[in-house]
Amino acid sequence: MSQSAAAPPPPATPAAQPAPAPQAPPNAKPKRSWAAPTGKPVGVGVENTPTLLNRLQVIGMAAVLLFGLASGLVQFLSYQSDGRAADDTEQLVRVQEIQSNLLRVDAIATNLAVSGGNLDPAEIASRDEEYDQALDDVLGEIASAAEAQPADEKALAALNVAVNDYATAIAEARANLRQGYPVGKEYLSGASANLRADALPILTNLVDANTERAEDSMGGQHPIWLLLIGLASVAVLVWISILLAGRFRRYVNVGIAVAMIVVVVTTIVAAIAAWRADSQNDDLLAGELRMAVDQAAVRTAGNDAKANESLRLVNRGSGPRYEDPWIAAAEIVEEKGDRIVLDEWRSYANAHASIVKYDDEDRRGPAIQIATGAENAPGGQNSTAAFDAFDGVVKGLVQENGATVSEELRAGRSLALVGSLLTVLLGCASAIAVARGIGARRKEYA
Amino acid sequence: MSRVTNGLAAMSAMAALLAGCGYDETPLPEEPEAAPSSAPAASTCTPSDSDFASYEPSDEITGKVAEIESRGRLIVGVSADTYLMASENPDEGNRIEGFDIEFAKAIGRAIFGSDFETGRNLELRVITAADRIPLLEEEAVDLVIRNFTINCARWEQIAFSQVYYAATQKVLVSRSLDDGDEGNGEYQDPSDLAGLRVCAPTGSTSLDNIKEAEEEAIIEPAANHTGCLVKFQRGEVDAITGDDTVLAGLAAQDPYAVVPEQAPLNDEPYGIGANKDDTELVAFVNGVLESMRENDQWQPIYTRWLKSALNGADAVQPPPTLPYR
Repeated sequence: MSQSAAAPPPPATPAAQPAPAPQAPPNAKPKRSWAAPTGKPVGVGVENTPTLLNRLQVIGMAAVLLFGLASGLVQFLSYQSDGRAADDTEQLVRVQEIQSNLLRVDAIATNLAVSGGNLDPAEIASRDEEYDQALDDVLGEIASAAEAQPADEKALAALNVAVNDYATAIAEARANLRQGYPVGKEYLSGASANLRADALPILTNLVDANTERAEDSMGGQHPIWLLLIGLASVAVLVWISILLAGRFRRYVNVGIAVAMIVVVVTTIVAAIAAWRADSQNDDLLAGELRMAVDQAAVRTAGNDAKANESLRLVNRGSGPRYEDPWIAAAEIVEEKGDRIVLDEWRSYANAHASIVKYDDEDRRGPAIQIATGAENAPGGQNSTAAFDAFDGVVKGLVQENGATVSEELRAGRSLALVGSLLTVLLGCASAIAVARGIGARRKEYA
Repeated sequence: MSRVTNGLAAMSAMAALLAGCGYDETPLPEEPEAAPSSAPAASTCTPSDSDFASYEPSDEITGKVAEIESRGRLIVGVSADTYLMASENPDEGNRIEGFDIEFAKAIGRAIFGSDFETGRNLELRVITAADRIPLLEEEAVDLVIRNFTINCARWEQIAFSQVYYAATQKVLVSRSLDDGDEGNGEYQDPSDLAGLRVCAPTGSTSLDNIKEAEEEAIIEPAANHTGCLVKFQRGEVDAITGDDTVLAGLAAQDPYAVVPEQAPLNDEPYGIGANKDDTELVAFVNGVLESMRENDQWQPIYTRWLKSALNGADAVQPPPTLPYR
C-alpha cells in the first residue's frame, strides 16, 4: 500500500523525551498539530504515538463496527416491521371480515324468519344451508384470528361465547317460530339485540386495536436513523483522519478513506431504500388498506341495515324502532362506499324504500314479498337479491385490497434482510480497513 | 458458520427487545351500567269501583270518531306476541289475530260500516306494554287494546272504555312446582314466591301487585310477557305473573310451564284505552261493546279464543259500571 512505501524513518529519540524546544519568535503562530507533510510525526509531546495509534484504531474499528451493527439492526427492524405490518393488516382484515360476516349471519337469520314457511321448501333448505355455512365461517375465522394474534385471544374467546349465545338463541327462535309460537320472535329480536350489545363492542375493540397495530408497524421504516448512524460513524472517521494527519505527514489514510466511502455509500443506499419503503407503506396505508378497511365497514353497515329491515317485518308495527338504525347504517354506506359498491347499494335501497312504504301502510303481504324475493313481489322487486349483489361486490373489494396490502408488504422484505446482513458485513470490512490503515501508520512509526 | 448463526440470533434478540416483546392485549369492552328501573309515577288517587265507570255509550259519529272516518283508517295499538289475545298467525300470512283483535275489528266495522276492510281501514300498530300510555298521550294511536287494566292512576292520564273482559292476575310456574309434591315447594299462594325470581312486564300493574303481595319476591322485569317467557325458559326467572289470559297463552307455548289452581292475586278489568280528551271516541267504543252484548257477539269470541285455554271456565261480558261518568 502507498502508506508503507512512504513510511517515514522512526524517530531517533522516543517522543516521551522531547528535545528542548527552540525559542519561539514573539510573533510566531502557535504550533498546530497537523503541520504536514514533513514525513515526521508531529505534535510530539502530546501523547505517546503508539498509544495514540492503538487508541485511534480501537475507536475507528468500534465506530464502523457499531455502524454496521446499528445500521444493520435498524434495517433488520424494518424487515421485521414490514412482516408484522403484513400480519397485522391480515389480522385487521380478518377481524373486519368476522364483523361483516357476523352481521351477514344475522341478516340471513332474520330474513329466514320473515320468510317463515311461505317459501318453497328447497329455497328454505338453501337459505338454511347459507345460514349454517355463514355461521361456520364466522366460528372458523374466530379460531384463525386467535391463532394469528395472541394479543387478541382473550377478546376472541369472549366473542366466541357471544356468537355461541347468539346461535343458541337463533336455534330457539327457529324452533318456536316453526311451531307458530310468538316467543320465537322474542328470541330472534333478543338474539339480534344481544349480538349488537355484546359481540359488536368486542369486534370494535378488535378492529381498533388491529388498526393501531397495522398503522404502527407500517411506520417501521427509519431513513433518518440510518442517516444519523452513518453521519456519526463518518464523523468519528473524519476526526481520526485529522488526528492522524496531524501526527503524520499524510492528508489521506487510505484504509480510513475506504472505510468512510463504505459507510457513506451504505448509508445512502440503506436510507434511500428505507425512504422508498416508508413512502410505499404510506401509499398502502392511504390507498389499498384504507379501501379495505372502509369497504369492510361498508359491508358491516350494509348487513346491519338488511337485518334491521327484516326485524321490522318480523316485529310487526315496529317500523320506526328498526328504521332509525337502518338509516344510520345507510349513511355509513353512502359516506364510505366505493362508487361501484354504491350502484349496487342504491338498487337495494330502492327495494327497501318500497318495503317501508308497504309496511307503513300495514300492507304486509307486498312488503314481505319484496323482502324475501317472492315471485309475485310488486314490480318484480327483490330486496334480498339486490342486497346479495351489493354484499358480493363489497366483499370482493375488501378481499382484493386486503390481499394487495399484505402481498406488497411482504414483497420488499427480503431485500431489507439482505441489506441488513450486508451492512453488518460491510461494517466488519470497514473495521478491517481501519485496522489496516492505522497499521500502516504504525509501521511507518516503527 | 456457527458464529454467523450466533450473530443473527443475537441480532434477532436485540431487535425483539427494541421492537418490544409483543402487543398489549386487546381490551374487552367495559360492562355497561344497568339502567335504573323506572318506577311508575306515584298516584294519590284512591281506587274505587267508580274507576270502572266510563262514558255513556253512544253511536254518534262525531268529534274524533268523525276524524277517523274521514281519515279512512282506525289506528289501534295492540300486542303481536300475546298468544290468544293478539299474535301473528304464520299459517295465515302472519295476520294478527286473537281476542283483543276481535274488538278492534268490531269498532272498525261500526265506524266504516259495510265497506270496512281490515287491511285498508284498520291499522294494527304493534306496541309494548310500556308504550301504551305515552302513545295515547301523543295521539300516535287512536285506541289501545292490549290487555290494559283500568285503574284510577291511569284514569289521570288517559280515558278508558267500560270493562270488556274481567281478567285476574295469577302466577305461572314450572310444572315441578305443581306436581302434587308438597315437599317440593308446591305453589299455592304468593308467599311461596319469597326468594324466587318473578318476572312481569316493566310498567305493568302486575309488577306493582306482586311486590305488594310478597315483598321478598325478587322482581326481574322484562319488556313484555313474551320476554318473561324467554327468561323463564332460560332459567333466569322462576315464575311469571300476569293476567290469566296472558299466562294461558304463555303456558300454551311451553309444555313445562303451568298456571296452577290458585286464588287470583288481583282483579284486572280490561278496558280499551284512548286519549283523555277523546270522550266521544270512548263513548262510541262503549256503544260498540253494548251492541256486542245485545247481539250476543261477545260469547263466541270468548269461546273461540280463551275458553279452552282457561280450562273451560265460563265467563260473561262484564256489565257496565253505573253511573256513567
